[in-house]
Amino acid sequence: MRNLLIVFFWLALLSGCVSSRIEQSRDAATGIMSNEAIVLLGRASYNEKQTEEGFTECIADILSQGDNPIRLIDQKQFRDDLYPWFEPRTAPTSADELGKLFNQPGVQDRISSVNVRYLAWIDGDTITIDSGGSMSCTISTFGGGCFGMSYWEEDASYEAAIWDLKEMTSTGQISADANGTSYIAGLIIPIPILARPGNAACKGLAKQLREFIVGET
Amino acid sequence: MLQFRALLGQSLLVTGMLLSLQSCTTSVVVEGTLPTPLVSIIPARMGVYYSDKFRYFKHEEVIRDSGGWSIDLGKQNLNFFQNLTKSLFVGVQEVGQPPLTSEEMQGLDGVFIPKIEKYGFLTPSISGLKFYSASIEYRVAMYDKAGTKIGDWNIVGYGKSEGGMFSSDDAINEATVLAIRDGGARIAIELIDQPAVQAWLQSIGEPSQPSAAPLASAERNKSPETIESAESLKSAESLKSAEGVESIEIPESVDGVPDA
Repeated sequence: MRNLLIVFFWLALLSGCVSSRIEQSRDAATGIMSNEAIVLLGRASYNEKQTEEGFTECIADILSQGDNPIRLIDQKQFRDDLYPWFEPRTAPTSADELGKLFNQPGVQDRISSVNVRYLAWIDGDTITIDSGGSMSCTISTFGGGCFGMSYWEEDASYEAAIWDLKEMTSTGQISADANGTSYIAGLIIPIPILARPGNAACKGLAKQLREFIVGET
Repeated sequence: MLQFRALLGQSLLVTGMLLSLQSCTTSVVVEGTLPTPLVSIIPARMGVYYSDKFRYFKHEEVIRDSGGWSIDLGKQNLNFFQNLTKSLFVGVQEVGQPPLTSEEMQGLDGVFIPKIEKYGFLTPSISGLKFYSASIEYRVAMYDKAGTKIGDWNIVGYGKSEGGMFSSDDAINEATVLAIRDGGARIAIELIDQPAVQAWLQSIGEPSQPSAAPLASAERNKSPETIESAESLKSAESLKSAEGVESIEIPESVDGVPDA
């Protein structure tokens, strides 16, 4: 028991602080039947930004588990099945374009066959906004060690735009922002104190997305 | 003496390992899925010619910081185009190098010839970004039954992929697959909308509805500045002004990696 407490104490100490904020705006009522599914697609653009695949996977993992699991369609499978309409440069950028897209041969049938009700576009990324400090490590025949301290501050900013594919409308947006600073302190051995704003944003966004889709009918 | 021999042996081993690390080449045989496009079928029976260069396309390059690269995309690209053309035209038959005799053209309305003009890629160490990126410039030509050129078009496909420290080959593979898909998507959606193709279809008595694609997205999503260079822009300009070339998209950035 005492060992367990020590482990918890160290884990608490080694986790950096993260502040996060979740905001939501709703355009239409939502609801999902047990046989309906949602698909999460990461937005990719041809600049230095791209939603990390790991982030959409993190949200998908959370949504497909828990008390109220939601059926999810794998984004790679969805993109393959609807090729070439959901590629980075051909995907619709607003729900207004869904009508035209559904007029393309086979598109509506393909979406209906997997019973996808909602499409959530995940857009954003995690960036390092500040870093500093210094740490040096040495190793010799008599031993080694690290001395100093370095830190970096990360900002995770993501948005989910949710489209109802049945009604062909936008139902709302959810945004998640998280910020945290991580440290590595070198006291003979390097001790990392890591903040994970990306993980916090993922958890916050997934929780809100589940409530958004299931909660209000 | 034995100790000296052991030390010498170890030194030679370490030196050998260092030398092999210095001169290593990353080989990538590009592999990926082959999605079947959901697009309007062009009502024409086409002969398709794939040159050996297209079939066995391989890109080799040495980058100062990351060693040699050998990227074999021929097989994936060929399979992708075989799948694409089957979905794009009413009928498809692989043919030999044009010009074709009237016998060889029997049952065909025209010939479709895709080519890879250029392939290039960037690693994070060069671009300074988190991603590996790849670009492929295709030139697609179409000829009618008599062998007269209907038109040719330049299409540039782009792809990028996150890469881990020890998975650069996987990241280049994925970026290349995405670049092939991107180029293929443009061909699948936009070829039928080209005025020359529409006029040709009218002439063979097979008028076709343009795709009415909801896709001004190509305009909205600008091409990756990360692969762009002054050199590539120069080459893009020269291609743009090439006689008889109708451009679906000006190839803005199709160069290989600049010498680092």
